[in-house]
Amino acid sequence: MFSHLFVAYVFIYVCLGLIGLGIMLLVQMKISHNREQQRREFYEQKHHDYFVYVQAHLGDDAELKLPPGKLKPLERGVIQDKFIEWIEQFKGDYRTRLIRLCREAGFVEADLKALGSFRHGRRLAAAYRLGGMRAEEAVPELLKMLQKGKYNSISIIIARSIAKSAKRPEDLLDMLRCLLSHGKPIHHLAADIMLETGLDASSILLKLLDDSDPALVKVGLVAMWGQAVPEVMPVLGRLVGAKEKDVRAEAVKLYLSSNPALKDETIVQLMTDRDWEVRAEAAKALGQLHAAGSIPLLVKALQDASWKVRHNSAESLAALGEAGFEALCQAAVTGAGIQREAALHRIGLVMEAEQKHGAIEQMVAYNKKRLIHDRYFGVKQPVKRMTGVAAVGGDYTA
Amino acid sequence: MLVYGTVAIYYVMFVNILYFTIMGLSFRSIGTISKRAKYSSYQTLSGSELVPSVSLLVPAYNEELTIIENVYCLMTLNYPTYEVIVINDGSSDDTLPVLIKEFKLEKMHNPEIRGTIETQNVRGIYHNPDYPHLFIIDKENGGKADSLNAGINFSHYPLISSIDADSLLEKDALIRMARMYMENPEETVAVGGDVRIANGCLIENGAVKRVSLPRKIWPMFQSIEYLKAFLGGRIGWSRMNGLIIVSGAFGLFRKDYVIAVGGYRGGYPGEDMNIIIKLHRYMLSHKIPYKVAFCPEAVCWTQAPDTYKIISNQRMRWGRGNLKNMIENRGMFLNPKYKVMGLITMPYNVLFETLNPYFRITGLLALVGYTLLDMTHWRILLTFMLLNFLSGYLLSVGAIILEEIAFRRYKKLSDLWKMLLFSALKFVGYHQLGVLWRVQGHIQYLRKNNSWGTMTRQSWKEESETASTA
Repeated sequence: MFSHLFVAYVFIYVCLGLIGLGIMLLVQMKISHNREQQRREFYEQKHHDYFVYVQAHLGDDAELKLPPGKLKPLERGVIQDKFIEWIEQFKGDYRTRLIRLCREAGFVEADLKALGSFRHGRRLAAAYRLGGMRAEEAVPELLKMLQKGKYNSISIIIARSIAKSAKRPEDLLDMLRCLLSHGKPIHHLAADIMLETGLDASSILLKLLDDSDPALVKVGLVAMWGQAVPEVMPVLGRLVGAKEKDVRAEAVKLYLSSNPALKDETIVQLMTDRDWEVRAEAAKALGQLHAAGSIPLLVKALQDASWKVRHNSAESLAALGEAGFEALCQAAVTGAGIQREAALHRIGLVMEAEQKHGAIEQMVAYNKKRLIHDRYFGVKQPVKRMTGVAAVGGDYTA
Repeated sequence: MLVYGTVAIYYVMFVNILYFTIMGLSFRSIGTISKRAKYSSYQTLSGSELVPSVSLLVPAYNEELTIIENVYCLMTLNYPTYEVIVINDGSSDDTLPVLIKEFKLEKMHNPEIRGTIETQNVRGIYHNPDYPHLFIIDKENGGKADSLNAGINFSHYPLISSIDADSLLEKDALIRMARMYMENPEETVAVGGDVRIANGCLIENGAVKRVSLPRKIWPMFQSIEYLKAFLGGRIGWSRMNGLIIVSGAFGLFRKDYVIAVGGYRGGYPGEDMNIIIKLHRYMLSHKIPYKVAFCPEAVCWTQAPDTYKIISNQRMRWGRGNLKNMIENRGMFLNPKYKVMGLITMPYNVLFETLNPYFRITGLLALVGYTLLDMTHWRILLTFMLLNFLSGYLLSVGAIILEEIAFRRYKKLSDLWKMLLFSALKFVGYHQLGVLWRVQGHIQYLRKNNSWGTMTRQSWKEESETASTA
C-alpha cells in the first residue's frame, strides 16, 4: 500500500508545485496586463492634444507634424493603433496622409523589421499592423508567411493584410491562389478579403473571371454581388454556360440580376436546368422582366421539387399582372399538393398586401385581382391553406 | 476494502491526468485563439453581404421578465442578415402578450411553414412589418427541443442559431462564429459559443456594460465551473473534433444537417448534447468529413440559478439528460467506426462523467470504512481527499490562466483572488452537492420522473440595479 501511497504523494506534490507556479504566473500576468492598460490610458490622455491636432489638420495641405518628444515603445504602439483605426475609417486623401504619417514616424520600418522576428506572435502583430498601414513593401514577405503556414484563422489575418497592402493585381491573385490551394470552398470569405483591396475592383474582377482556375472564377462571381461592373457582362454571358455547377449557378444569378433581354429558348433552357439554383434565379428574373409569355413555364415550375423554385415562380406569377394572377388562382384551384400550396400561399400574400394600399391605381389593381380571386374562390371566402399540405415535399434548400 | 480504495485513488489520478491532457490541448490552442480574437477583422465582415444569413431561434417558456430585453439585444447584433424567431412554448405567463404589445405584432394570416419536422400544434405566427426580421411563433407546450424544431420549420436561412431566452449575446458574438464557419463552410456542421455568467454584471439596453463576478455564492461557483468547462475542456475537445456538446444557450448549426438527423430530440432534457451526438453519428456513418467547432471568443451571457432549489433542479435535469444520451447512444461506445467520438469521447463521458459520482462516492466510503477499522491508516483517507482537491483545484487554476491569456474579462486583481478562493471553496460542499445532484438525476431517470422542476427568472433590470448599487 505504501508504494501506492508514494505514487499518490508524488501526484500531490506535482499538483501542489503546479498550483503554486500557476498562481504566481496568474498574479504576474494580471499585474502586468493591468499596468499596461493603465499606461495605455495614460499615453492616450498624454497625446490627446496631438490626436486632436492630426484630426483637425488632415484636410490641410501642410505636412502633418510627427508625434512630439522621444516616444517609449508602448507610447508608439498607442499612437500607431490610433492611426490604424483612422486609416480603416477614412478614405481618399485623409487615408493617404495618415499612411504617409505612419511611414514618416517610422512605424512601417519598425514593423517590416519585426516581420523577421523569431517570435510568431510578433511577426503576426507586425503583419496585422502593416496591413493596417497599407505597406506595399511588406507584401512579398507577407506572401511568404502565407505560403509557409498551414491554413487556419491566422492565414485569414495575413491574407487580409496582403489584400489591404497590395498595389499589384498579381499579388492579390497570388494571395487568393494560396488561400484557395488548400481545397476549402471558402469563396465567400476569399471574396470578402479580396474586396479589402484599394485597387480598381473591376480590373481585378475581370482577371478573376478570366482565370483558368474555377475556384478563382467563383471568387470573382461571388465578389461581384452588390458591385455594378458593366465591363464584365460579356464574360458573365460566357460563364452562364460553364460546366462547373457552382460557377454556372453564380454566373446565372448575376447575369439575370442585370435584367438582360432573354430569348425564349434561353428562358426554357434556364427553367429546365438540372441545378435548382439556376431554375430559381430564372423564375425570379421572369417576374422582374415582366415576361408574360413565360406564364405557362412558371405555372409548371410551381410543381418543381425545390421550394425556392416554387416560391420564386409563384412570386413572379403574382408580379405578371392580371394574367399571371389568374394563372396562379387556376393553379390553386385545379392543382394539387405542392403546386396548390405554393399558389395559395402567394395568393394570400397578394390579397393581404394589396388590401392595405391606399392609392387609387393600386385600389383598381386590387379590385381587379379581387374579382379574379372571387371568381375562383367565391365571394368573401378567405384563402385557406389545406392543413398538412405543407408536409408534402418540404425542403430546406435555402 | 483497501484494494477498492486503492483502485479509487488510481481512478482519481487517471481521470485527472485525462483532464490535464484535455486542458493541455486547450493550452496548445489558446495562442491561436487569442491572436485571431485580437487581429480578425469584424468591422468589414459584419457589414458584408458575403456573410451567410442566420435564423436565431429563441425558445421561450414563461420568460415575461426577460424576453423583451433579450429580443432587443438580439435585434441589434453586428451581423448583416439574420432573423429572430422567438418560439413561445405555451407559456402560462404573459410572454406572448408582452411581446405582442412591445412590438405591435399581428397574427400572420397565411404563414409559410416549409419544414416537416413534427412538432406540437402551432397556434399562430406573429409579425410586424416594421420589424421585418422578427417573428414570434406561438405553439402548444412541447419542450425546448420541440420549440427549436418549430423554429427550424419556419426559419428562412441556411444556418440556425439556438439561443436561450435568458441569455444576452455580445454584439460581435454571432459574426465571430460566422467567421469561424466561413473559414471551413463545407465541413463545419456546428459551432459552440462560450457561455458566461451574467449575474453581477451591469446590463443596459440588452447588453453587458460592465463585467463583474457574481456576488451570490451559487452563481459564483457556477462562474468558475463554466470557465473550467468551456475554456479548460471544450477548447481541447474541439481541437481533436471530439466535442460532445454545444451549449443550448448559444450554438450555430447548419440547418440541412440538423434536418438530416431529424431535428432535436424532444421529450427529454439534454437535447443540446443529443443533437451533437446525432450529428457526429450521421457524419461518421456517411463518411462525410466534418468538424464540430468551438469559438470561445463568441460570448453569450446567461442568468445562472441563484438559489439551491433552482440549481439542484437544473443539475438533476442535466444528470438525467446525460444518462439518457449515453444509454441512447451506447452503440457508439468503443466502436471504432465512430473514431474519436466512439473511442475517446463516449468512453470518457460514460466512465468519467456519467459514472464518476459512483466511483468517487464508493471509493471514499471504502476508504472511510478502512480507516474506521484501523485508525492508523488515516493518511490514506487524507491522501484520497487531497488528491481530489488538489487535482480539481489545479484544473481551475489552469482555466483561469487560459482566461487571463486570451480574454481578460475580469480586470481587477481582487477578481483574481476571488476566483482562486471560490475555486478552492467549491470543494467544500458545492462539489459534493454536484455529485449528489447527478446521482439524484439518475434516480429520477430510473423512476421515469421527467419533470422540468422549478425555474424562475429575474428581470435583467433588477439584476443590473443590484450590480450598479454594488
